Amino acid sequence: MKSKALILLSGFMFVMFVMLAGWTSNLFSADIKLVFRFNDPEAKEMREALDVFEKNNPGIKVELQTIAWGNSRDQFLREIAVGEGPDVVHIAFVWPKDMGNAGGLRPLNDYIKNENIHGGFDTFVATELTTNEKGDIYGIPWTTDTWALVYNKDLMAQAGISKYPTSWPELKNASKMIHEKTGKTGFGFPMGSAKGNTIWFLANYYWWSNGKALVKYDSNGGYKVGITENDIAESIEYFHSYVKDGHSPELMLSISTASDPAIIEALLSGEQGIAMMPPNMLRQLVEDFETRNPGKALPFVTKIFPGGSAGSKTHLGGRTLGINSHSKNPEASWKLVKFLTSEIIFEKFYTKQFPAQKVLLKNITFGPSLKGYAEQLALARSWGAYADSPAQIGSMWNKVGRIFGDAFIGTISSNEAGMDVIKMVEKELK
Amino acid sequence: MMLAPMMAVLISFYLYPTFYNLYNSFTDLSLLGLKKGGAYIGFDNYIRLFQDKAFGRLLWNTFFWLTFVSVSLRLVLGILLALLLNSETLKKFKLTGITRLSLLVPWATPAIVAVIAWRFMLDPREGIVNQILLSTGMVDQPIAFLSKIYTVWPVIIIIIIWNSLPLVTMSYLASLQSIPETLYEAAEIDGANDLQKFFHITLPQLMPTTLVLSLLLVVWTFNNFVYVWLTTAAGPGSYTNVLATEVFIRGFIDFELGYSSAIGMMMAAMMALFGMFYYHYLAKKEFSEII
Amino acid sequence: MANIHKKKTLNITLRDIVLLTITGIVMIFMLYPAYWVFYGSFKKSGSLFSSESFGFTFDNYIKLFESGFGNYILNSLFICLLAVSISTVIAVVTAYIFSRKNFRGKKWVMSTVLAGQMFPWIILITPLFIMFASLGLMNSYTGMVFIYIAISIPFSIYLLLGYLQSIPKELDEAATIDGCSTFQVLWKIIYPLIRPGIVATATYSFILCWSDYLFALAFLTKTSVKTIPLGLSQLFGEYGADWGAVMAASAVTTLPVLLLFLPIQSKIASGLASASVKG
Repeated sequence: MKSKALILLSGFMFVMFVMLAGWTSNLFSADIKLVFRFNDPEAKEMREALDVFEKNNPGIKVELQTIAWGNSRDQFLREIAVGEGPDVVHIAFVWPKDMGNAGGLRPLNDYIKNENIHGGFDTFVATELTTNEKGDIYGIPWTTDTWALVYNKDLMAQAGISKYPTSWPELKNASKMIHEKTGKTGFGFPMGSAKGNTIWFLANYYWWSNGKALVKYDSNGGYKVGITENDIAESIEYFHSYVKDGHSPELMLSISTASDPAIIEALLSGEQGIAMMPPNMLRQLVEDFETRNPGKALPFVTKIFPGGSAGSKTHLGGRTLGINSHSKNPEASWKLVKFLTSEIIFEKFYTKQFPAQKVLLKNITFGPSLKGYAEQLALARSWGAYADSPAQIGSMWNKVGRIFGDAFIGTISSNEAGMDVIKMVEKELK
Repeated sequence: MMLAPMMAVLISFYLYPTFYNLYNSFTDLSLLGLKKGGAYIGFDNYIRLFQDKAFGRLLWNTFFWLTFVSVSLRLVLGILLALLLNSETLKKFKLTGITRLSLLVPWATPAIVAVIAWRFMLDPREGIVNQILLSTGMVDQPIAFLSKIYTVWPVIIIIIIWNSLPLVTMSYLASLQSIPETLYEAAEIDGANDLQKFFHITLPQLMPTTLVLSLLLVVWTFNNFVYVWLTTAAGPGSYTNVLATEVFIRGFIDFELGYSSAIGMMMAAMMALFGMFYYHYLAKKEFSEII
Repeated sequence: MANIHKKKTLNITLRDIVLLTITGIVMIFMLYPAYWVFYGSFKKSGSLFSSESFGFTFDNYIKLFESGFGNYILNSLFICLLAVSISTVIAVVTAYIFSRKNFRGKKWVMSTVLAGQMFPWIILITPLFIMFASLGLMNSYTGMVFIYIAISIPFSIYLLLGYLQSIPKELDEAATIDGCSTFQVLWKIIYPLIRPGIVATATYSFILCWSDYLFALAFLTKTSVKTIPLGLSQLFGEYGADWGAVMAASAVTTLPVLLLFLPIQSKIASGLASASVKG
């Protein structure tokens, strides 16, 4: 035991020594060290971009960190509570205001005022999401996207559908026809209720296209619930019928993300006719298809979501860059943010995403398979009242997913579910 | 005193967080307002928990499905498997070693890998389980195990059993091997058959092990979060939600740390009660030697 | 079951056939999932879920190590081995004291040890995070080692208590009479006798630390210090997973534990025996 203890002790001391050495070396180096937390899979390409940045800015070194999106928000919130966290952080469109109000992000008004960032801050998309009621700007929108429908045109043709659906009943019919005429899945969409579920988006698109919304502005500058429990119940029944009538498989109840292999594989092997996804998922799908079927014609086309009485509506989603309020090098961080939002990044390194700048968006050639996104982006709406109100989008997202899920499996009736959603939103708005 | 290092570790790691959570369970602390802390709201969190209409289901899921069923099955299967490993048949064909070895594989597999493997095996399209069911004609449609409320709990339980049965089996096997032969010989002389030997000698001899294992398994499983979360994320809907996943959802998704702490404290209280009850009525003899 | 009628000839009975079939089924049940993971790690990525076989390839492993997974393995190894060594030592000493000595407040101390197991670990994250951040222990090996020691001590003490119970106190007394100090008794007499128990305890603790995801996630954000479970979860991107890499990473995660287990699995069985016989 004595020798073991000695070994352990020396091991421990060695570790402490190494740590001390690392810490002191930090003190003596002259370089500014930034930490950039970037959460998409293009880590390798982003590292190359950062190398370019370091070359152009001698004296600044950037460390790249990654964390899964699902954990990124609560990790950052914990960190800012104790004064830690990366200098530049990659966050979702709807987070800057909450994080800024919680004291975690540095207001960027002074930087923006001093320089015209890439043609001006107003040329950026959805800037109102990064600005709070007092006018403090907490983030620079980085990428933007929205969801669209993906169709397999061969299956559509086999099912005898020549006109693409423009209304929700037509969409259901197309799905039914595909299943009846070809035996394959029609519209397979994730109905699960896990964190980050898809049904939240689909339900909101359905409600918005009919002029309803969970949260709306009221006439007194406040907020109100903009939908009835019957509307919600009806939407639940609509989506549930896909599985009940058999043209969407039952296993959709246990998957929550549109990128689940169950859907992607089905699309790639021609077993499913309709799906929904954001553009970078589609680009990946196209890539995978071309790898597996070299030379074959691409069967996928993208179209906008069906419209109700108020037309087709999807959400304008995206990512924002923010600077940590505890950052010791805000100027260097700002330099990095400017660099990351420049055109060259989207052209060379971060190519699967659309830039959140109107000028750059105009220059993008969408190509045939992405045409649906171009159209849909023009029809996308911001979260608006949802984001401005006291309600937490993340919290509602999760709760709606679970209430819908319970209704889908029959634990509660769709009317009860409708009431639960309304009660939940009312509580969130207080 | 020699106990100092251990006490230091335990106090800072367990005691401080316990008090932190206890305190916060009486506030409305949210992750967004972590720095400024939460406002005191008395017992509101606890009242809200008891009034939640899902509370009944949470308790049922945690106590019955997650804990009771999986623990009992593990104990029963553990004994049976240990008997198998110890049997003359295996010894005859020299299969004891390799069977025991194959038990180690599930034990060594981390939970996340176990869930990945099983989820795939049960997949309606590609999974082997459905392929077997279809080809033998037992069903004519593949079963989406994780989407149906009748099969989702059995799936979770199977994964838990797969991952932890080896530990139970090995414990029982070791105990079995230490039962004195003389007891069985005496029974033989009295004319007992195999079944009688099992119920009158083997089972009673295994009682100490059973008591110990049950306590451990109950406490581990009751507090367990990973198996349910990784397999179904408490779904479909909130059908398989248990107390531990509820703690996670309320704390890390809804950011309601105060409420989440309250649930956690409730769970600790329940386990403490269980521990005391267990000690007094079942295991006093066992543990009294130590304490 | 112990059977006094030992048959000398290889007589295959009906009972044998039944038991052998059951054994076969059991072995398939136990082994198939792991086999599927290893098998999948050698298939070309993307073909995992399709029925077409894309052939055998080492690509997944190559890609995995090229992207720095090897670093995670080293981190995990270092942290876990260090934590387990320290925690086992502490547990042995503590369990010995609990089993042999009596002192005021013993019941309280023992309850504190067990209390730590009574609630879900998730609620420890936030307060520990605050504590770690203020002590500067974020992204540090020291911090993780501390955590892993803390979570493995309670059960280790419990297991070792069991083994120690089976060693008669008379041995201690005999040694003390001969003039041994407490430390010498522990080192010269007790330790050799409970070695299998120590092995079992250390193995269990190692697996616990090796597969921890929750604490690593909260406290390790720098890529250079991340451990294996984090590396594995990172392969599940927001928009899908590289299944080939996931399988390879899963295999790499499971393999060291298997290799660790294999040579000592007989010792584990006997170690657990002494524990459970006496409770």
